[in-house]
Order: sequence, then C-alpha cells, then structure tokens
Amino acid sequence: MKKEIISFIDQKLQKYDPVWMAENGAGGQRTRYRDDGSGIARYREWRGVEDTFQDYVSWLKNVGYMGAMVAKDPVKIMKGIWEYRWMGSFLGSFAFVDRIFEGYRGRELDIANIHGNAIVRILTLRIGLILHNDARLGGGEMTDKMIGLDETIPPLFTAGFPTLNAEPMQTMPEFVVCDVDQHLDPYYIDVAESYGLAPDVCSRCSAETGVAIDDAFPVFGKLVLSTNQPCNASEATSMFQRRRFHQKGIEDYPFVFAMQHNTKNGNDYSKEELRQAIQKIEEVYGVKYDWDALFKAAKNMNHQNRIELEKWEIFATPYSPLSGISESLYKLVEWALVNGHDAYFNEVDDKVIEILRQAVRDQYLPYKGKTRHRAFLWGPSAMYYTDFPTWTQNCWGINIVLNMDSTMGHNMINTEDPEQALTDLALFSEKGVMRHHAVGGWDNVNAVWEWAKRLNCDMVICNDNVACKGMNGVHALLEEQAEAFGFHFLFLPHDLEDCRTIPRAEIRKAVNDYMSIVMGEEPLDPTLVDFDDAEAW
Amino acid sequence: MKKLIRLILKLVRTAVIAGVVGFVLTFTIYMTNAENKLIYDYVRPFLTKHYDKQARDRRI
Repeated sequence: MKKEIISFIDQKLQKYDPVWMAENGAGGQRTRYRDDGSGIARYREWRGVEDTFQDYVSWLKNVGYMGAMVAKDPVKIMKGIWEYRWMGSFLGSFAFVDRIFEGYRGRELDIANIHGNAIVRILTLRIGLILHNDARLGGGEMTDKMIGLDETIPPLFTAGFPTLNAEPMQTMPEFVVCDVDQHLDPYYIDVAESYGLAPDVCSRCSAETGVAIDDAFPVFGKLVLSTNQPCNASEATSMFQRRRFHQKGIEDYPFVFAMQHNTKNGNDYSKEELRQAIQKIEEVYGVKYDWDALFKAAKNMNHQNRIELEKWEIFATPYSPLSGISESLYKLVEWALVNGHDAYFNEVDDKVIEILRQAVRDQYLPYKGKTRHRAFLWGPSAMYYTDFPTWTQNCWGINIVLNMDSTMGHNMINTEDPEQALTDLALFSEKGVMRHHAVGGWDNVNAVWEWAKRLNCDMVICNDNVACKGMNGVHALLEEQAEAFGFHFLFLPHDLEDCRTIPRAEIRKAVNDYMSIVMGEEPLDPTLVDFDDAEAW
Repeated sequence: MKKLIRLILKLVRTAVIAGVVGFVLTFTIYMTNAENKLIYDYVRPFLTKHYDKQARDRRI
C-alpha cells in the first residue's frame, strides 16, 4: 500500500523533477534557479518522495550540527562571525551541500548524505573548538594546549600527544571555506597583492599569505609547525605566516619533508624530521610522547585505508554509487583533517562499504545508467568549483571515478614497534594532499595512466592550475602520453582559489567544447551547458 | 491514576502537535530554500558591509 501511494505521488509530481524535465525536454536542473547569477534556487530539487524525504532528513541533521555548535558557546561563535570574514562565508554551507549533490538519486544520494553529514559534523565540531579557544575572542581551557599545524601536514602523528590538540591552521580560514564560497579567497589574494607580492603565484599560497597579513588566523597554542609541503610556493607563504605567528607569541618550527619522496634516502630524511618535530613538541609543551595513543589512532587510520583499498576495487566496476565529489570531498576531510583521530569516521566507512558491496551484488547502475564516460581527474582541482564532477555527470554523463587527491597515503602504519611506525608515518606523510602525484619526480606525475587503466577509465581530465609553474612544464608530455595510450584527454584550466582568472563558466566551456566539437555528443541536460553563476557562493 | 493517564495523553498530544507543526515549518523552509535566500539576500550583504569597514592590523 505504502509503495502504491509513493508511486502515485511520484507520478503526479514528476514534472517538477529536474532529471525527468531534462529527459522530457521540459527544462532541467537550472530551471529552478533564479536568473540573477546568484546560484540561489527558487525551490529545492524535487527528487521523488523517498529521495526528497531522505535529503530533507539529512538537511535537518546538518541544521542540528550547526545548532549544537552555536549552543555550546553562542557568544564566541557570534564573536567569531563578527571578527572573521571567513566565518561569514561558512553561512553558505547549506547551499554548498545542495549544489555538490545536485541530481543525485537512490544509493548515490544515500552515500552522499552520509558523507555530507559526517563532513558537516566534523567541521562544526572543529570550528566550535577553535573559536572557543581562540585567544583573540577570550580564550578557553585548551588555548595553551593546542598545536598549530600547517594544513598539509597529516596530523596522525600528533595522536601521540593525547592531552594536546593539533589543528590545521589554514583549513578553516582559507582552504575548506573556498569550497563553500568562491568569492572569499580573492579578497585575501588582493590583500597579499596590495602588500606588493607577486600576482602570478599559486593562489592557495597567496590566499594563505593574505589571511596572515589581514590578521585573520585564529590565535591559539604555543607552537606552529610550518612546512615545505606540498611545494616551493608553500615555503614562501610559510615565511610570511611565521611573522604573524611570532607577533602573537607563537613559536614556529619548520617541519621539512623530502621533495623526492620515492627514495629510501628521502624517507630516512622525512623520518628524522618527524622525530625532531615530536621532540620539539615535547620540549615546548612539557609532555612525553605516548606511543600507545598513537597506535590507537593508527589502527583507525589502517581500518580506513583497508576499506579504501576495497573501495578502489569497486570503483573499477560500473556499479559504484560512490564517485565524484561525494567520494573526493569526504576523502579529503577524512584523510587530511580527521586522519585517524575520530573513530566516528570508521563507522561511516563501515556503513558505506556495505552499501557499495550490495551495489556490486545487485549490479546496480548509478546515475540511472546515464554514465557515458569514466574519467580519472588528475592534478589539484579548482577549489572554487567543488561541484564540477557533479556538473560533468549531470550535463555530459562523465563520471569522475576518482580524483588524484583520493590516492593519498594508503600504506599501513605499524601499531607495535615505534621505530617501524615512524618509518611508515614518514612515507604516509610524504604522500600528502596535492603532493602524492604532483610533486616528487616524473614517475609520480606519470602514474596517471596506470590509475586510469586500473579503474577502467576511457577519459583523463587533467586539472591545469595556471599558476603552478611545476606542472606547466609537463603539458606537451602528458598530451603525447594520452595519445599513445588511447585516452580521451583534456586539460582543464583553473586558478585554484581565484575564481576571477578562470571563472567556473570558462571551466565548463573547456568541457563543453571538447564534448561537442571533439566527441560530437549531445548534453544530457541542455540547461546545464551554459549558465551564469558568477555571483554564486 | 486517571490524572496520570490524562497527563500522559496531554503530553502525547502536545508532542504530536509539536512534531506536525515542526515538520510543516521545517519542510516548508527546506522546499522553498528559504534559509539560503535569507542568508544570500540579507545576512551576507549586512556582514560584508561590516567586514569592509573593519580596520585590520596589516603590519607583519
């Protein structure tokens, strides 16, 4: 009876479903948006009774997480919103979640919302913790027990300091928030450039520098570990940031990784650096490193990586309802921010892998079987266009099976022997965000073809960060390789965190031109081919 | 005993009414995308004006 009622309602209301509209020439995803470039929809997506209700419940959970964050310390949260421009940008989070999972149905939506809730949960917990202990806003009980980490240093090793709390410095003010609001980082980039710094550098580093100059980092801890990860532009921004940290009375310690990280010598060097960083924290905070606490977190990380390896096997089949941004954003947060510190993410992984195993057993075809191409997305993606993989699937049927960043450190960490654990941690840390394949020698860059073959992709999309001097040098080589190996291949120009240089519409145009001119294909949803979202978050 | 039953019934009725009203209200906000419209059209422009007026110490 219940099924009949749902089916009756679905039939009556299907004319409001954008996927049905696109299939029947009656509109599509963009039909429900305001036409002022704001990216604000007049109403939310109707996905059928069951999926709409499921998405509504997930939205309610996110409202709950945000409410809980405010309720814990309403004064500091309000002060934080008033003090920090980047906190204002986080108000766009609801629209962000909507746009990255647009068009998702069935099991894709189930997993996306499980992941979405986990991401909102951890971000609200961490923002709440940072603002509660921010000395600028009055400080809290953990203010002097926090360690600032450069966000590209994997925080797993800090689990050996269970009485301290390590927080990535740039993740909230500059990195993750750029996913939510494309117009935030251009402000900080302008601050850096108006200070007289070169405008042709990596925009991530420029934005971080702008945050430092604008005095917009939260203030906590006695020590910040800066780093050369992932590349030489990061060394420059670290030098600017340390000046600001010193002004706030926070010491800076450079944690330097080997750039050539596939060699034993490189690994030995990184291991020694890791050992010295641990000693430095012990000295500054007067605490002893607790190996058992590290091993406990390492077990969480190993559990996560074991599941990750199984996921890759499933991704190689056509039956995975997990792909695109649902996969890569969750992986980025789980790896770079959580990194074994929160067992809740292991529960999420257990739940999701069960859905994936069932999908394989059922030979489930995701996205209503509309995938035409399986693509591997290589190179660091445009942070200001997080919903790009969602768009490629909805508009052209290009399923981004996996993203380069999702192949980060997946070696197991020894959980019994401290010396071996350090060796494993050094290797794990070297294979960090944006670094695993984009830095460290030609073999790393060229690994794209093995990955694409392994995951049965017919297409490789290579992110082309126009300000990345290193990767600019390999254009022609990659094009030749693509031809030799027989992959459909396109470069996707972007400026990482500056949406003004190459706006989202231009990124879409690169794909549109390739798909219509080179491939001679028609879009699945014509309303998505060309639209204005210049003023959208 | 009767008083207790009446109290329980009253509590159940209040919970059901609160649940229905809560659902109608939140589902309306959800479907009409009301929170995003409010934030985009009013809250963010107000905050941006405030941020633009801030005097930040840019000496490093």
